[in-house]
Amino acid sequence: MAHFITRRHISRRAVLRGAGATMALPLLDAMCPAMSAAPTIRPRFGAIYIPHGATMSRWTPVDTGANFTFSEILKPLEPFRAHINVVSQLTHPLAYGPGGATGNHNRSSASFLSGAKAAAGAQPKLGVTVDQVAAKTLGRDTPLPSLELMIEDSSMNCGEGLSCAYRNTLSWQGELAPLPMQNNPQVLFEQLFGDGADPAQRSARRAQSLSLLDSVAEQLRGLDRQLPATDRQRLDQFVTDVREIERRIAQAGERVAGDVPVPAKPNGIPDDVEQHIKLMLDLTALAWQTEITRISTFMLAKELSNAVYPKSGVRDSFHILSHHSNNEDNKARFAVLNRYHIGLLAYFLERLQKTPDGDGTLLDHSLVMYGSGMSDGNSHNHDPLPVVLAGKAGGTLQGNRHLMQPQGTPMSNLLVALLGKLGAESEHFGDSTGRLAI
Amino acid sequence: MRSTAALVWLVLPLAPVCAWSATDLRAVTDKYCTSCHNSEDWAGGLDLGAIDHGHVGNNAAEWEKVVLKLRAGMMPPAGEKRPSARDTQEMVRLLETRLDAAAVPAAAPPALHRLNRAEYANAIRDLFGLHVDVASLLPPDDASEGFDNVASGLSISPSLIQGYTTAAMKLSRLAVGDLTATESTSIYQTPETLAQDQHLEGLPLGSRGGVRIVHYFPLDAEYHFSVRAGFALARSGAAQIDVALDGQRLDVRNQRDFRLPVKAGEHVLTAALFDLQRPAGVNDIYSVYKVEGGIDSVEIGGPFKATGPGDTESRRRIFSCNPAASEEMRHCAEKIVMNLASRAFRGPQRPEDLAVIMQFYERGRAEGGFDAGIQQALSRILIDPRFLFRFGQQAGDLALASRLSFFLWSSIPDQQLVDLAVAGRLHRPEVLATQVKRMLADPRAEALVENFAGQWLYLRELASVTPEVAGFDENLREGFIEETRSLVRWTLAQNRPVTELLNADYTFLNERLARHYGIPNVRGSHFRKVALPADAHRHGLMGHGSVLTITSTATRTSPVLRGAWILGNILGSPPPAPPPGVETNLDGDGSHVLTASVRERLEAHRANPSCASCHAVIDPVGFALENFDAIGAWRERDGDTAVDARGTLVDGTHINGPDDLSTALMARTDLFVTNFTRRLMTYALGRAVDFGDMPAVRTIVQQGARDNYRLGTLVMGVVQSPAFQQGSE
Repeated sequence: MAHFITRRHISRRAVLRGAGATMALPLLDAMCPAMSAAPTIRPRFGAIYIPHGATMSRWTPVDTGANFTFSEILKPLEPFRAHINVVSQLTHPLAYGPGGATGNHNRSSASFLSGAKAAAGAQPKLGVTVDQVAAKTLGRDTPLPSLELMIEDSSMNCGEGLSCAYRNTLSWQGELAPLPMQNNPQVLFEQLFGDGADPAQRSARRAQSLSLLDSVAEQLRGLDRQLPATDRQRLDQFVTDVREIERRIAQAGERVAGDVPVPAKPNGIPDDVEQHIKLMLDLTALAWQTEITRISTFMLAKELSNAVYPKSGVRDSFHILSHHSNNEDNKARFAVLNRYHIGLLAYFLERLQKTPDGDGTLLDHSLVMYGSGMSDGNSHNHDPLPVVLAGKAGGTLQGNRHLMQPQGTPMSNLLVALLGKLGAESEHFGDSTGRLAI
Repeated sequence: MRSTAALVWLVLPLAPVCAWSATDLRAVTDKYCTSCHNSEDWAGGLDLGAIDHGHVGNNAAEWEKVVLKLRAGMMPPAGEKRPSARDTQEMVRLLETRLDAAAVPAAAPPALHRLNRAEYANAIRDLFGLHVDVASLLPPDDASEGFDNVASGLSISPSLIQGYTTAAMKLSRLAVGDLTATESTSIYQTPETLAQDQHLEGLPLGSRGGVRIVHYFPLDAEYHFSVRAGFALARSGAAQIDVALDGQRLDVRNQRDFRLPVKAGEHVLTAALFDLQRPAGVNDIYSVYKVEGGIDSVEIGGPFKATGPGDTESRRRIFSCNPAASEEMRHCAEKIVMNLASRAFRGPQRPEDLAVIMQFYERGRAEGGFDAGIQQALSRILIDPRFLFRFGQQAGDLALASRLSFFLWSSIPDQQLVDLAVAGRLHRPEVLATQVKRMLADPRAEALVENFAGQWLYLRELASVTPEVAGFDENLREGFIEETRSLVRWTLAQNRPVTELLNADYTFLNERLARHYGIPNVRGSHFRKVALPADAHRHGLMGHGSVLTITSTATRTSPVLRGAWILGNILGSPPPAPPPGVETNLDGDGSHVLTASVRERLEAHRANPSCASCHAVIDPVGFALENFDAIGAWRERDGDTAVDARGTLVDGTHINGPDDLSTALMARTDLFVTNFTRRLMTYALGRAVDFGDMPAVRTIVQQGARDNYRLGTLVMGVVQSPAFQQGSE
């Protein structure tokens, strides 16, 4: 099928580091920096999720406050010390509940950004997530309000009476609206940079898309409204999303051509998992740099993932190793894997730091939260959660700190604080009981 | 225990069941159940003290739970005092009779049912003859209740709308032939672990290894082909690469790099390896994988020097007329749009229903001529809510036609179904029966294998498992998938009893898989039906490498996963997930070789009472399969220990090995068929099947029993069930 059939692979290197990197294609009109219009810096926000928790004894720094000592797992972040905040002793109380270990896994990724309880039953129901709240302000004037990305295919067997939505995405636009995550860099590329060979073609296609969407929205107005409440809600969602895509396309069209080199289009999903992750991170950085979007969520792996990371030096599959049986050797090996994942975060931070943005770097203007909704993969608890922040959020956040909280502090209190840093002030979020001073 | 049970039942009349009263039922639950299922302990979320024993229909949800547990022999738990088997049976029969009589109404079909990715792709195939990789166009769907066609789990999101828009435009351009198509390159990579030392299905005879690619060429044009080989192959010159298009060997000077005019449409390109010199015993200079001695990838670039849209399958289907003069255009366009929209919207359309689509035709024609007009009209059809959604409350035969085709084909109905529906005849039992038969015999029924069985049996998971067991490679993975698909396909096509999935004494093998199973005299890469020797100890699904691999960890077998798979997917009593905080890692730290067998490690783990309560039920089922290793090969030893395949079923039956397991499961076909029917119904209706549906499920199973549980009869039972028929007259 033209250029969108079957799994094809190309190395990330070939895409971003090969001829493509400096190809300096004429900048697609869909992706130009907004700087000409708006000189004020708007922060970027990214949440990166890692399932199964971490070996907490090797995650949590031994000392607190400024100039803390980086722990074994967090060591790869030390070069970015000035931009790092480790926040300890947070919990997600609503991640606890029935359904055994599987339930706890599902609720870990569900509650992480929502601070809400995942409902049982065939109808997935949660609550809006913090990235989507931020997108309401930071995403209003960007072609894409947010990006939702993952690495693995979506789970299909989540048991009866339990929707896979809780495991397949981090991001919810509303309580009934999980946002699917994209794992194909090629599709992501087209989302970012549009479909078409030249500006004239892209513009013609944009016009056609707009008239298609407009006509559908029009048609839906006349459609039978005699539907049960949840279905009516779903149809309304359809109309809202149609309007949203219209808005995005219109916004993309208003941009003026600039001069950022665009990499060659990736060809499907890379075979190598590390290449895949780095390619998704590269594209995220590019999307932030060009302000095609300022918000992303990224699931490095799903809860219960049995991914193997050949370059981590650990051969065990992820979920199985997280069941360490409190054996010190197992915990040490799990920590090696935890540190490997942190190394991927460091890769992303390095990219952000190397990208100039306004009066500083992209890292200065970003707020990246990395963490898990599970603490110990062996006991499936949610207290204390491994959470680390990177970036200065445009100067509203200082770094170089280990912020130890009172035991049992709801993570939602941190999410309230983050919304503040992102210019999306809010008194409450999810099950918050206050606002963390950070 | 027997005597106490008898005492209770003595006070109950031995007369016909109708003589039973609420008091009798209550006496039993009081004696055996309410010490746990009460308002305080509330075990399993069930308080049997508080529910209506007289009119069981008032608490149908709770009583159906009771029936399920009693039938499976799971309650009262092992070790607690139980009524005798015969008495339990009586009680189940009584409850079922009363529940069926209470006739709790079944839930309505989903009112709004979005097409999922597979259905969208199949609809495109049936409309245009195009095979698209929908995963690169639309975001993934979430599964609920075990299936990704359950309406309430199919959510709406901006990326979905974005996907629909992009897909509508790309696919309409592709279907009509996109003269604006610019050069692009497609790269097809061979899987890393595909062994290329043997003939592969679909490649020329006499070849060893290579790739087979189905590629869509958008226009009549020239295309550039580049075949990359592993380094040893590239250097040695010992093997020759032969490329062929649609089976015709290409006579090009450099088989690894050439340009060729190709007609628009789908074509099959093969690049196969032929050994020029391969003296016996010295062929080990070739590694069998792509990095060394195999084909690494194929790139196809183009189109160059395009001459036109060509005569493609999709154009033949779309252009039912060709306007000779411009004044004929509008009329012809109306005809084309009417044809396609009626198919896509699953019923006849009035011209005024299509006015909005014709506007798109007019716009496109004004911009780029007739074809462009048709292309724009198609794009509008593909994003129309009438295409993307099924509106479940539509009554009548047309709704039934759609429900049937989405159930059996995961696609839109064909002309015959629509015609019968329009004539108002489809709902007639004899017409319906003929149609179901016809549909099951149609190649489109492969959707049931792929989507229903693929999800029910977890077969789809095989694509992403990564066994770290010597001997596992891509060829075996593909073989596993094909074997299980073949069995399900055979059962469907031959209308075999569904119970053959548990006890088939035959299977479907090619040479690679037969070698893996140790079955002699199977030669060649194609799959064929093979009678299994008794000493293979493989009976139906439980002997398939697919199931045995999915239920293992990357490095070892897991009696727990296997037991849970059988309890959940076969017997319909999924065990609860482990409670938080328990240790489930049996693998040690990997720093030294574990000498204890998996069984010994599991038995140690069951010494912990909080584990034992469930694992005493789960593990012994899985133990029976311990003779099959983590990728389904037969073994006599696990580590240093001889395999011990003794186990116990939930109801206490002792078994030893896979032969016993199959026999034991066959003794409980009622459980299996009930579960199968429930799963099939969930899939057919696209909603959760609950207590309100259980009377219908039982009716289907009872009818099925009279016909030896033939698969076609069960499918027909689902189609004839009130829930499926709701809305149709």
